[in-house]
Amino acid sequence: MNFASTAVQDELAEAALHYLTDRYPPARVAEFAEHGAHDVDAWPELVRQGWLDGDLGLVELALLAQANGTALHPVAWWSTMGAALPAYRAAGLEPPGTVSYGDGSSSCRARHDGATWRLDGHLRQVVDAGYAVELVVAATDGYGPALFTVRTDDPGVTLSAHDGLDPLRRSATVQLAGATGRLLLTGPAADAARVAGQRRAVVLACAEAVGVGQRALAMAIEHAQARVQFDRPIGSFQAVAHRLADSYADLELARSLVYRAAVAVADAEADGASGPTESVDDALACAEVSCPAAAVAACESAVQVFGGIGVTWEFPLHWWYRRALWLQSFHRARTDALATVADALLADSVTHRTTDR
Amino acid sequence: MRLVDTDDEAAFRATLRQWLRDNLPAGVPHSWDTEQRRAWSRRLHTAGYAGITWPREHGGRGLSPSYQAVYAEESALAGAPDHVNVIGIGMVGPTLIRLGSPEQQQAFLPRILSGEVIFSQGFSEPDAGSDLASVRTLARRHPDGWVLDGEKVWSSYAHLADYCLLLARTDEAPTRHRGLTCFLLDMRAPGVQVRPLRQMSGDTDFNQILLDSVVVPADAVLGEVGAGWRVAMTTLAHERGTFGITLTSRLAAELGRLVETVRAVGASDCPIVRREIAQLHIEVQALRYTGYRALTALERTGTPGPESSVLKLRWSLANQRLATLAVRVLDGRPGTDDWYGYWRRQLLRSRTNTIEGGTSEILRGIVAERVLGLPRSH
Repeated sequence: MNFASTAVQDELAEAALHYLTDRYPPARVAEFAEHGAHDVDAWPELVRQGWLDGDLGLVELALLAQANGTALHPVAWWSTMGAALPAYRAAGLEPPGTVSYGDGSSSCRARHDGATWRLDGHLRQVVDAGYAVELVVAATDGYGPALFTVRTDDPGVTLSAHDGLDPLRRSATVQLAGATGRLLLTGPAADAARVAGQRRAVVLACAEAVGVGQRALAMAIEHAQARVQFDRPIGSFQAVAHRLADSYADLELARSLVYRAAVAVADAEADGASGPTESVDDALACAEVSCPAAAVAACESAVQVFGGIGVTWEFPLHWWYRRALWLQSFHRARTDALATVADALLADSVTHRTTDR
Repeated sequence: MRLVDTDDEAAFRATLRQWLRDNLPAGVPHSWDTEQRRAWSRRLHTAGYAGITWPREHGGRGLSPSYQAVYAEESALAGAPDHVNVIGIGMVGPTLIRLGSPEQQQAFLPRILSGEVIFSQGFSEPDAGSDLASVRTLARRHPDGWVLDGEKVWSSYAHLADYCLLLARTDEAPTRHRGLTCFLLDMRAPGVQVRPLRQMSGDTDFNQILLDSVVVPADAVLGEVGAGWRVAMTTLAHERGTFGITLTSRLAAELGRLVETVRAVGASDCPIVRREIAQLHIEVQALRYTGYRALTALERTGTPGPESSVLKLRWSLANQRLATLAVRVLDGRPGTDDWYGYWRRQLLRSRTNTIEGGTSEILRGIVAERVLGLPRSH
């Protein structure tokens, strides 16, 4: 049995966390959040540090995503590394900077206009579109969904950003009116890249959720050790201590499920199996249910432990809470993971499997 | 990180699975009586599945804990019972190997493995409960060794046991953790009386042990006189080693049974049942992979990681929810599933889960203080 991060992986995670907590103390995170802005200058440093290296496996990326959640890293790394990146890599390319993905397979048409592809239609809920140099767009080319890239500064591209719960992760609706597309992939290759992108986006978002919850728990622990009431630190009261112990349990269980999902997806990719397989679907669904829920619960417990301070605008905890809530609504909007699990368990033709083997 | 066995683990699993198929009675029974369990333990021993992680020189297989985990998973899947000497093999044996004298090792270890000598554990007391250090059973010096007087409670399998690993106070020491000593008590010694405690489920696997001027020889002391706390902690640490995997494997098998029950009574379409089953499945998977993380840490460093502290806490709650759901699914549908009696008993038995082996409150306290570093509670 071997199901824990290696020393090398732990070092990677620690270095990432060290860099991020150094560069983004909560006050600075709050500053970006107040202005709904990202640290757009940070990207070259991330590239230099190897955060985009092609040899990072999904487990390593999940560890980086955890660190992003812990620090509330104000950079469009997730939108780049999740749904968009597999399309570039499958086409033998690297993203030109921060990018994002827009699924217009049912709402966008691609037509070939002599020498170039032109895209028309709209893309809903494109995450961090405002910070993307390019978008990967799934559009129908007459045969089926194909993947294109579109530059966000192209005259045919209009972005309208939405206000959301989390100002550090805003989505936009993107209108395409004869936007110039560069064809990346068609046919089965495009389908495979879309599936890979979706799976990676889920794994990295779930890992990020664990990091978010972890930070909220850490803040609450620090406060519970220091804050004295009735002549004792409040962490010595079981009502407080047990609540935090439950947060820890939720987060450790969620962490195990996101590691499992990362390994399951990586294994499936290595086998060249892009189609749904039982254990990948199950691993993703389990992580999708448990990770954001654990993060939300940890943030809510932390708010409670901080008492009045926890509900103020000035105290930065709410920015983490917002991210946890965003992660949960992102998953709910995408799929009903509980139904996926129940369908698989109670399908008449399938006997319950207790092991993946 | 791997989701699958190594080649060696896979080979061990395949052989074991076949062996279980060949050796378990057809139509595995819902519950096993003592004689059936003794017979099963003899088969396990002959086939080399008792003491998988024990060192070779003490009659074990000398394999790493991951093989014990494979055993736990496969035997749970197959519906096989516990080894009748689960305390001897899982807890007392490893403690003897670590702290016992060569004579004690020779006298007990082979017979523990074979199931010939069954052990129980006498740590808890009526007035001590979760506060183990307040043990009051007294051991006084005697020309032949020691004399024991006191009362133990919640001793699993004491009604079957030949010996008991017993914690007693040998010295009114200045601190409560000192002055305790561990004894290997012969349950047939004059003055030992065992009274079964009947639980609400009807089971009588816990017992009261009354000790009235019981004389034990000097060589019945395990470890050093006055170092009983350390011995007890060694024993309990072994309980927490691969035990989490055993619990989770059983829970997974129970969930499989519940799914069968839900199908059998035609409750597969009920949205509430579907939702709760899905949530239980997710909890089982979470416990399972957390168990693997703890196991990996155990194999790498010799101690399970901090995440192992959540296994029993969450297993007990999930097990209770599972049994509750099963009975609710069957309620009002009597006779539609022959597992009804089983589930009714499980529901009542599972209430014990959040009390036995460390109450949930104690376990949360351990997480808060030792893992999260919160101040000691009052």
